[in-house]
Amino acid sequence: MANNPYRWAVHLSVVLFVLLWTLPTFGLFVTSFRDKDQIAVSGWWTALGSATRNDMFRAPEGEGEVEEAGRFTLTGSVFAGASGHVKAFGISSKAPDAFAAGEVADLGDGESLSVAEDGSFTLSGPESFKDKRGQRIFFTATTPPSFTLDNYRAVLFAEGLGRSFLNSATVAIPSTVIPILIAAFAAYALSWMQFPGRALLIAAIVGLLVVPLQMSLIPLLRIYNAAGQALGFDPKSYIGIWLAHTGFGLPLAIYLLRNYMVGLPKEIMESARVDGATDFQIFTRIVLPLSFPALASFAIFQFLWTWNDLLVALVFLGPQDDKLVLTGRLVNLLGSRGGDWEILAASAFVSIAVPILVFFALQKYLVRGLLAGSVK
Amino acid sequence: MEQVWTALFTIVLGIFAAVSWFWGANFCLDRLLPARTGDPVQNARNIHRASLIRPWLFLGPAILALGLYLVYPVWESLFLSFHGKSGQDFVGTANYRWLFADPGFRESIFNNFLWLLVVPAASTFLGLLAAALTDRIAWGNLAKSLIFLPMAISFVGAAVIWKFVYDYRSGDDAQIGILNALVTWAGGDPQAWIALPFWNNFFLMAILVWIQTGFAMVILSAALRGIPEETIEAAVLDGANGIQIFFKIMVPQIWGTIAVVWTTITITVLKVFDIVLAMTNGQWKSNVLANLMFDWMFRGGGDFGRGAAIAMVIMALVAPIMIWNIRNARKEMEGR
Amino acid sequence: MRKLLAGTAFFALLAGGALAQDLKFAPGEDARFNWQSFTDFSEKYNLDGQTLTIFGPWRGEDQVLVESMLAYFTAATGVKVSYSSSENYEQQIVIDTQAGSPPDIAVLPQPGLIADLASKGLLAPLGDETTQWLKDSYAAGDSWVGLGSYKGKDGASALYAFPYKIDVKSLVWYVPENFEDAGYEVPQTMEELKALTEQIVADGGTPWCIGLGSGGATGWPATDWVEDMMLRTQAPDVYDRWVTNELPFNDPAVVGAIDEFGWFARNDAFVDGGAAAVATTDFRDSPKGLFASPPKCYMHHQASFIPSFFPEGTKLGQDADFFYMPAYAGKDLGKPVLGAGTLAMITKDSEASRAFIEWLKTPIAHEVWMAQSGFLTPLKSVNVEAYGNDALKKQGEILLNATTFRFDGSDLMPGKIGAGAFWTGMVDYAGGKAAADVAAQVQAEWDAIK
Repeated sequence: MANNPYRWAVHLSVVLFVLLWTLPTFGLFVTSFRDKDQIAVSGWWTALGSATRNDMFRAPEGEGEVEEAGRFTLTGSVFAGASGHVKAFGISSKAPDAFAAGEVADLGDGESLSVAEDGSFTLSGPESFKDKRGQRIFFTATTPPSFTLDNYRAVLFAEGLGRSFLNSATVAIPSTVIPILIAAFAAYALSWMQFPGRALLIAAIVGLLVVPLQMSLIPLLRIYNAAGQALGFDPKSYIGIWLAHTGFGLPLAIYLLRNYMVGLPKEIMESARVDGATDFQIFTRIVLPLSFPALASFAIFQFLWTWNDLLVALVFLGPQDDKLVLTGRLVNLLGSRGGDWEILAASAFVSIAVPILVFFALQKYLVRGLLAGSVK
Repeated sequence: MEQVWTALFTIVLGIFAAVSWFWGANFCLDRLLPARTGDPVQNARNIHRASLIRPWLFLGPAILALGLYLVYPVWESLFLSFHGKSGQDFVGTANYRWLFADPGFRESIFNNFLWLLVVPAASTFLGLLAAALTDRIAWGNLAKSLIFLPMAISFVGAAVIWKFVYDYRSGDDAQIGILNALVTWAGGDPQAWIALPFWNNFFLMAILVWIQTGFAMVILSAALRGIPEETIEAAVLDGANGIQIFFKIMVPQIWGTIAVVWTTITITVLKVFDIVLAMTNGQWKSNVLANLMFDWMFRGGGDFGRGAAIAMVIMALVAPIMIWNIRNARKEMEGR
Repeated sequence: MRKLLAGTAFFALLAGGALAQDLKFAPGEDARFNWQSFTDFSEKYNLDGQTLTIFGPWRGEDQVLVESMLAYFTAATGVKVSYSSSENYEQQIVIDTQAGSPPDIAVLPQPGLIADLASKGLLAPLGDETTQWLKDSYAAGDSWVGLGSYKGKDGASALYAFPYKIDVKSLVWYVPENFEDAGYEVPQTMEELKALTEQIVADGGTPWCIGLGSGGATGWPATDWVEDMMLRTQAPDVYDRWVTNELPFNDPAVVGAIDEFGWFARNDAFVDGGAAAVATTDFRDSPKGLFASPPKCYMHHQASFIPSFFPEGTKLGQDADFFYMPAYAGKDLGKPVLGAGTLAMITKDSEASRAFIEWLKTPIAHEVWMAQSGFLTPLKSVNVEAYGNDALKKQGEILLNATTFRFDGSDLMPGKIGAGAFWTGMVDYAGGKAAADVAAQVQAEWDAIK
């Protein structure tokens, strides 16, 4: 069969596709394990192999020095716990690689410094190194890949993270379920029931897809506040945010579900009608089960959107500590000026875990064959 | 823990309320206008009346929610777009006249058209490709998850991801952006990608395509799986090869879904602003309408009138898609 | 003596009572602090059971710092304070105040935005007493009153915002040992700074690290440069007329200041990575070049907050230090200092929010933050010994020695300019556009919002 080269081509193109799509994310993944000071200095891919880098180490201020025959000697390692191979070292920022490893550098005033290949240094001089500024040792070294869990530690043990996790779940789950329920009925009506104005209604829903969220926030919050004042409840509550997410997610839900339901075979509905089933029965017993793939795929998107959302949560729930959602908590870990890349990287992977689980859980419903069996 | 129970309870309550509305309303309708009264004329009349009312029972909650959360704000925006900075004094069409004379607006709308041309087409095509290819291999589900990953990553995360792609350092320094690392490795000169006017649009678009391909893939994959096996088997028996089957049999069958995906991504493009805001904030001539609107709405206290006017333009741009959808829906109805 | 005893008794009560909580410095112990002001305040206010919500710009480490200060307010008054912040606090404050659910107190760094809130009648005036207090108690009090006063809904000017916590911007950061290695001296005048810049290039080094990248706010670091240059080439009143647009943006004075910045930033030899890298390099990554081996640059112009982006373990004063961005010896404009700061305002009037403004007048509200990090104050009655480190004390001195103090101009301009057109213009300028064209473009946008 000519199938074989063709199969290979499919496999190869998927591999390429996947590589291209994951490479940027993989970069962030590697970054999330890197030392914070390295991130802005060298590319993430350099962390995967041994790299040659220039660095500076400041010798301690006399701590651990030994006095022998009037000379003070201070020893230690420039790698401070890590490992590597020193190629060259220097004592001035102007010439950071003036000496080869193992050579002795003269610091003046009778002081001398040598750095061995394994990174151990010996600093000696006629006077104590106490109360003096620690000597700067510049070195060029090859270091093996080194990774750290510090970034994840900073994120995972952040105060209030568990609470925020719960808050996010409390926001996201009902915000996913409610619109699906409402949209499924509406989508059925729009695809299988006859009534005047149907086409216009469909067009209106497409039109509402484009309403920019930012436009809605102020008028809606105003209504919430007015209603809260009149009826005496807190305008910033979970119910409020569920309904808001429901409203914002509905057009897409109805649009996607209607498109799917319209494609269901006409014959099934007709034979059910002949058997005396009402619309309600047709919907709950036939259409709903058959639409599972569409329901599942919309559920994935709506969950993602509500889980990753920050703006709607801040506006309708507030930034207070006890109500802060996960995205808000993670963003607040960054300083006032943002841009701690290592925290950003680690928190991106902490917050992605749940949506990916949801995707895996629902993926099995996106299967072939639900329809195939029922057509006949 | 208490919160978990409250949440669970409210979830159950909410679902129960929704179900009982749909079920209860339907039940009442059946009781009020029974289909079996013993009088055939009355029966027919009741069935007819019930079928007039029933769609609205099904649509009721959706229309209510859409009306409050989307239609009302649109109405409010329309009102604001004819008013001044703080939304109180009527200024007529001044905001619109200002808009069409504003060079920033012209730049944004030009860029928006570029985005509209490229992103929906590229995302839908790549999504279709991904769906079709991954459906045929054993590790397809894994591949799908990986292509879907960008969709799941939070926006803040995505912005950092692309910083490490597009970052620019001058020729002598070590690059930390992978694109420039590849370019210098191949012997080229590094470029400040997001600062190249006109071309930077495409680098920003790449981010949205990267995200939306996962969306297109999931929806299209579900549609592809809905194609009855029989039609494909018949084509295989006729001796068609994989590519022929794909383009001649499968694509036409899911044409409706392709159109839906295209429409949805087009609308996403019209609304896109966080990518532009985080990467360039519209500088280096990369602004788009949604970011321009955001800028006028919220920067330094904001100018609600102008922000709303831009929002109205964005909404007007969707009109062709709406008309096209009306025609489609009409066609479907004729087929019934 | 009696008073002191009473104070001690109070603190004993506090330590054992329900109000006791994790206060950073135990009341009454450290003599650097003005505990008297704390005792007096707590005797005056008893607002047990009341709550106060504060919304501000401080997140991460800064949030910990502000909360440590707020704990004292709670201890003194019994008001339960809930402080929160968010990434887009600017946007959120617009939404919340417009929709009618503001916090009690908002703290914002942008006078432009405050002016807008005040003009819409969303802020409560702080009153004449507070105005007088600022005049008397803050160094250069009149300029602080000016900063906090805005036109209300009725068009009348009143004090709406209380300046609290300021940053000095006119600083140049450097690594002292790198200067020693190369034999450079800290420049005392702008002429010397320029000569040093050229000297470093002649020695084969790169003098400056400049990065304007800041995601959605890209361009702002350049506005600080231009403002510093404005103050060093023009009289302060020209600066004042510039930020209100009495002096058009495309006036030769402004174009000249932009070109002064260009002298540093648009010369490939002067900046790390060459002029092309200036606009895209992230401002948070930029200072790291100072610490590279060999150094990628010798100097970095940035405000007092920048050490949080230095490599981990950097000791200020030893590994890195700063000097005052000098003024031209030949221009006789004194020693101008550019600064920025945050202002607190009442967005919802209540007994607790009034008490909070009163609290900000006590020395202790300043000292507990000063003693930690990142806090400067113009309040004359604080004990400068309370500053947590030498760097802060030195910045405090720069403030005190200033002959002219001016607030960040881009913050004073309307948001659309100061946080929009000005940024964009500077990005364009860094990309090679002529200063006159950039200035004209900003002025055109300013005209469009009038």
